Amino acid sequence: MSNIAGKAYAINVITPVRWWTAWVNKLIFWFALKVPKTLNGLLTLSLIHYARWVIIGKNEFPVLSADQPKEDLRYSYMLFFSNFNGSWEQYVDSFTFAIPSGLDMFWKWNIRYPKSVPLTPFHDYIRYNQIQTDHYYNAYPMASANDVKSAKKLHLALMDFDARLDTHATDDAFQKSFHKLLRDLQHDMSMMHHTPIVSMAAQSVQMRLVADRMRRQNKVEA
Amino acid sequence: MNRNKSGNAYALTMLCPIKPGVEGNRIYADLIRDQLESWNMASVSPMSLVPNTYLCRFFVLDDIYTESLPGAGIWDALSDIRLIPSNEQRLAALPHTDRLQSRYLVFTSNLHGDVDDYLHGMWQSIHVEINTIWKYCYGFENVNDEVSFVAYAKKCCLDTSLFFVGSNDDSLAAQLKALYVKQEFSRFAQETQDLSASQLRLAYTAFMQHIKPRDVEQPTWMAGSTHVDL
Repeated sequence: MSNIAGKAYAINVITPVRWWTAWVNKLIFWFALKVPKTLNGLLTLSLIHYARWVIIGKNEFPVLSADQPKEDLRYSYMLFFSNFNGSWEQYVDSFTFAIPSGLDMFWKWNIRYPKSVPLTPFHDYIRYNQIQTDHYYNAYPMASANDVKSAKKLHLALMDFDARLDTHATDDAFQKSFHKLLRDLQHDMSMMHHTPIVSMAAQSVQMRLVADRMRRQNKVEA
Repeated sequence: MNRNKSGNAYALTMLCPIKPGVEGNRIYADLIRDQLESWNMASVSPMSLVPNTYLCRFFVLDDIYTESLPGAGIWDALSDIRLIPSNEQRLAALPHTDRLQSRYLVFTSNLHGDVDDYLHGMWQSIHVEINTIWKYCYGFENVNDEVSFVAYAKKCCLDTSLFFVGSNDDSLAAQLKALYVKQEFSRFAQETQDLSASQLRLAYTAFMQHIKPRDVEQPTWMAGSTHVDL
């Protein structure tokens, strides 16, 4: 199991929804796409890399072979996948505190959804319907979503600074303009380091490598 | 409107039914888990070789779950206020519990660009690993090359209802280069604080030649690496 990859956490939540209210949900998502303003609340949650909602009808589970038994389901299902920075509690609680009505709008029609407030029943609901990830890969394990955004800004600003550089300017003038660049980028500069546990998987690898090294050393000494 | 896309980012969701067989004393679903667990123990995931993968995940869906505690809906509330409910009434108030007939391998990826190109690239990069995972799935017995893999994957795909990109949708190479530049520039700013104007200018020129900010490919932060210098 590996829900964590570097600074990202993978959450998978699968919840039942009546087939006819699944269409209401689809309509709400369609509206959210047509009127992006409705997602402004989500944008305030800058800890999210990528998130998605998928609704699968009770007769829409993929059938790949004639031998495969056909699903016989009463409900349709809503699948929610998110990649975020921080802990499970921080994420779930930030949803509750930042966009409770938005959260309720998306999950309202799901069977036994308790609403996002109060917290404890909401936590219980998410925990009950959460599926653990077996393998989670992150192309930039040391970077948060904010790092990815600020890196783009910094990279563009540095290239722009370099392109505008006056090669005939004095050293003092260069220093002055460089310091201005640093001031402009002060919110985007930071070193990306390991968190205490990069991931359970990475920690296991590190432990194994250390054990291997010690074994080799012991063999040489023997 | 393609709801799987948001700008240049794409949300790929695959649900692949697993056969109910047994090998040794392990069911196929557990053999898939074992394989994925071994990827966790590798220093770098095989998925780091698949071009343009931002973040992806695999898990086995054994069954689906229905929370039976009352929610906040009117029917839940009404079912809770009956004073002396019989056992039958109590059970009738509980939601129906569905059971899946098959286990499913779920693969989701947040990727940059065209999904067909991505799936072709995935087969080209890690077809050996793909075989070790997917060989336990229904329909995969017909997959023997890139084209048949893409056709198979398409049959397993689910449409996204809503895809939210909180990061950005640049190519992975552009994202990794930007992160490399951010890391190195932050280090440079820290290390050059005490230099004189002339020393700073010389150091800056050398730094820019070293990091090559306009070359997206090199030097850069390697995909999946926890260190900029790996």
